[in-house]
Amino acid sequence: MNSVRLWYKKSGLAVYTSHLDMNRCFTRAVRRAGIPLWYTEGFNPHPYLTFLLPLPLGTAGEREPLDIRTVEDISAEEIKKRLNAVLPEGLEIVDVTEARDKANEIVSAAYEITARFESGEDAEKFAKSVTDIIGTGTLEAEKRSKRGIKTVNLCEFVRSFEAKADGNAAVIRTELLTGTQQNLNAGLLEEALEKAAGISPETMTIVRKEIYKENNELFA
Amino acid sequence: MYPEKLEKHLLRVQKPGRYTGGELNSVVKDRDSVDISYAFCFPDTYEIGMSHLGMKIIYSLVNSREDARCERVFAPDVDMEEILRSENIPLYALESGDAVKGFDIIGFTMQYELSYTNVLNMLDLAGLPVRSADRKSLTPLVIAGGTCVCNFEPMADFVDITLLGDGEEVTMELIDLLKEYKKKGAGKEEFLKAAAGIPGVYVPSLYSVEYKEDGTIASVTAKDGAPEKAVKRNVADLDKMFSPETFVVPFLETVFDRTTVEIFRGCIRGCRFCQAGFLSRPLREKSPAEVERECRAICDSTGYDEISLCSLSTSDYKGLETLLRSMLPWANENKINIALPSLRVDNFPQELMEQLTSVRRSGLTFAPEAGTQRLRDVINKNITEKEVLSTCAQAFSGGWTAVKLYFMIGLPTETPEDVEGIANLAQAVVDEFYHNENKPKGKSVNVSISVASFVPKPFTPFQWEAQDRPDTLIEKQGLLMQSVKSRKITVSRHVPHTSFLEGVFARGDRRLCDVVEYAWKNCCKFDSWEEHLKLDVWMQSFEKFGIDPFFYTARKRSFDEILPWDHLDFGVTKAFLRRENERAHEGLTTPPCREKCSACGAAKLNGGVCNELCAAVV
Repeated sequence: MNSVRLWYKKSGLAVYTSHLDMNRCFTRAVRRAGIPLWYTEGFNPHPYLTFLLPLPLGTAGEREPLDIRTVEDISAEEIKKRLNAVLPEGLEIVDVTEARDKANEIVSAAYEITARFESGEDAEKFAKSVTDIIGTGTLEAEKRSKRGIKTVNLCEFVRSFEAKADGNAAVIRTELLTGTQQNLNAGLLEEALEKAAGISPETMTIVRKEIYKENNELFA
Repeated sequence: MYPEKLEKHLLRVQKPGRYTGGELNSVVKDRDSVDISYAFCFPDTYEIGMSHLGMKIIYSLVNSREDARCERVFAPDVDMEEILRSENIPLYALESGDAVKGFDIIGFTMQYELSYTNVLNMLDLAGLPVRSADRKSLTPLVIAGGTCVCNFEPMADFVDITLLGDGEEVTMELIDLLKEYKKKGAGKEEFLKAAAGIPGVYVPSLYSVEYKEDGTIASVTAKDGAPEKAVKRNVADLDKMFSPETFVVPFLETVFDRTTVEIFRGCIRGCRFCQAGFLSRPLREKSPAEVERECRAICDSTGYDEISLCSLSTSDYKGLETLLRSMLPWANENKINIALPSLRVDNFPQELMEQLTSVRRSGLTFAPEAGTQRLRDVINKNITEKEVLSTCAQAFSGGWTAVKLYFMIGLPTETPEDVEGIANLAQAVVDEFYHNENKPKGKSVNVSISVASFVPKPFTPFQWEAQDRPDTLIEKQGLLMQSVKSRKITVSRHVPHTSFLEGVFARGDRRLCDVVEYAWKNCCKFDSWEEHLKLDVWMQSFEKFGIDPFFYTARKRSFDEILPWDHLDFGVTKAFLRRENERAHEGLTTPPCREKCSACGAAKLNGGVCNELCAAVV
């Protein structure tokens, strides 16, 4: 049995696929690719497949980790090639490595939020407004957790924040606490910012760019 | 792909993956590269529609033509409909995002009566008039197929054409004809007259219906050279028939998310309540080699790890053992689960059973349908209490602890004893568990019984029978609940009101078209969903047009009455159905086709079991 870490890119139509459906989707893709997976040995055997940091519905990802266990030795190149031949549009394997770091070592991630407006003026206004809001150090919003809904200060989850207008779009680059300990959905932050700023973009995309451990070391 | 305008709304709806398209194996063709565009519509949500095998077949079939494209359309859920309407986005097809209105053929598959309002709603969302007469141009042509079109009279004013029976051949012929008529710039009327000549095509507008004063039908007259009786299509050789080798793989979970392969069409049993069994006669089998080839091809191209072998009664498949012996090693090696719905386990080889369950264990299910042997004889369901109990005993010894039993109430000739009999049979199963010495240690048994309300359907021996009124059904449900004494038995019931509406439309006539339209205009849709059903609006709609809905449900018809579907021919003759009805009332059973031909009339359709028996052709 070999543990392998797949790094996938999720974009386009695939962002509308929920975490549960991603699981099904990859299980089938691995089957189509003819990669022999290791099955759990319980009453209801199922293939071992673990998403280390599930993406929220609507968020794209540049390099997302997914662990599988294979029962045969297959080269990283071969796994990548075979999977990319069968994955649906919007999903792509960008790298295959050994599974080095543990999921609980993840502390933060970099996100890029692009909010598109009808005019460059609106984009400027939005970028300035959200920078000011984060600058105050307080942005309250209702956050759902396993223990129920409570109001939290989202700024406590923001490690860095920068917003710039670029043509008709406002581009926010931000590092947010992410992982099993503390986690903020970038979509929730954007929604709260929109509400506080009083301007809504026409369309919006959110991409998770990189995932970090302590000391801003890249998760690998 | 969805229309661009929709992008910013997608994350505001439940399960947006239903509206995006782009699934694996979906076929996207350039609209300018084809002559005919076909929008295949399922009048319910994506999760339900994507589970439907007929759609997968027609989708692959039409897309196998170079000159045609087929795209999928589903009923948007309520939240999505609001957005489409407020943003003025017309209903679109999933592959291209093109508006449905621009397609040449808009085809609906009609699997249940309570989806009728959804058809009107989808036509309206597409920006089309719902009535056939108000759509003047040749295209889009609105057609329908599926079980319900054996009596689609309550929808006759809305569709241009219905396709009767197996769709594989007739769809292709219809596309050919439309291509030709489109090219020569013909009008809709001219085309419909020509289409009526294709066997399996029924054009409702070419038949005029006269009524008597008592509301029954006086006459049905064919016009403009349309055949006096429209005959259903029947694919004679299933091995040579087009079968899909791949399925679109949805991103999100659907109701039946797996490989489904037909093993045969038709049924030899003749259960008297079962419409599907009579509509699809004669029985025609696919060879085990062909079934296995399709299973492997679809699993390979989809990655599905479950296969469901599809038919009306798995055990009647002659090639079952051959198929399983050949396919099981491959399936087990690849961790593929094979499901055999409606398998009769009594004479099934034990070692095959063990191999079947070596991947995953599924539940044990029986459909005795009625609580007493007397009533089972009336409905010609040849399963005995002894068979149920001995199979359960075998299963309990093998470690099973859950049994599901399916029943109906409201069957013709039913008495209180028959209703109590349902509880008694369930109790006998519970007792069988506790008397079993080899039962799983330390475990309890759970017998769940599901009780549906019987709805008499066209083309069955019960097509003349009265349907129980909702209050009678509620009383019978109450009696059943009182009769259940054990906590090991759980009962699930159906809402009698949905069965009532289903009954109205199952045996309804053309006068119901106004009612359907009015109810839809007053917000009736998704009527099969309990939370959406607006019974009061329906009752107002009947009243508005002076129609008593119980005329269609609670009235026993005489044998000489002209029924709304008498001008359609599905093979089985009215004389045969009448004989079966009379035998039912005498409590006499009828043997399956393979034992003895009952001269049902389907032999004239050519194929399958009738040839096998060299039976007397009626």
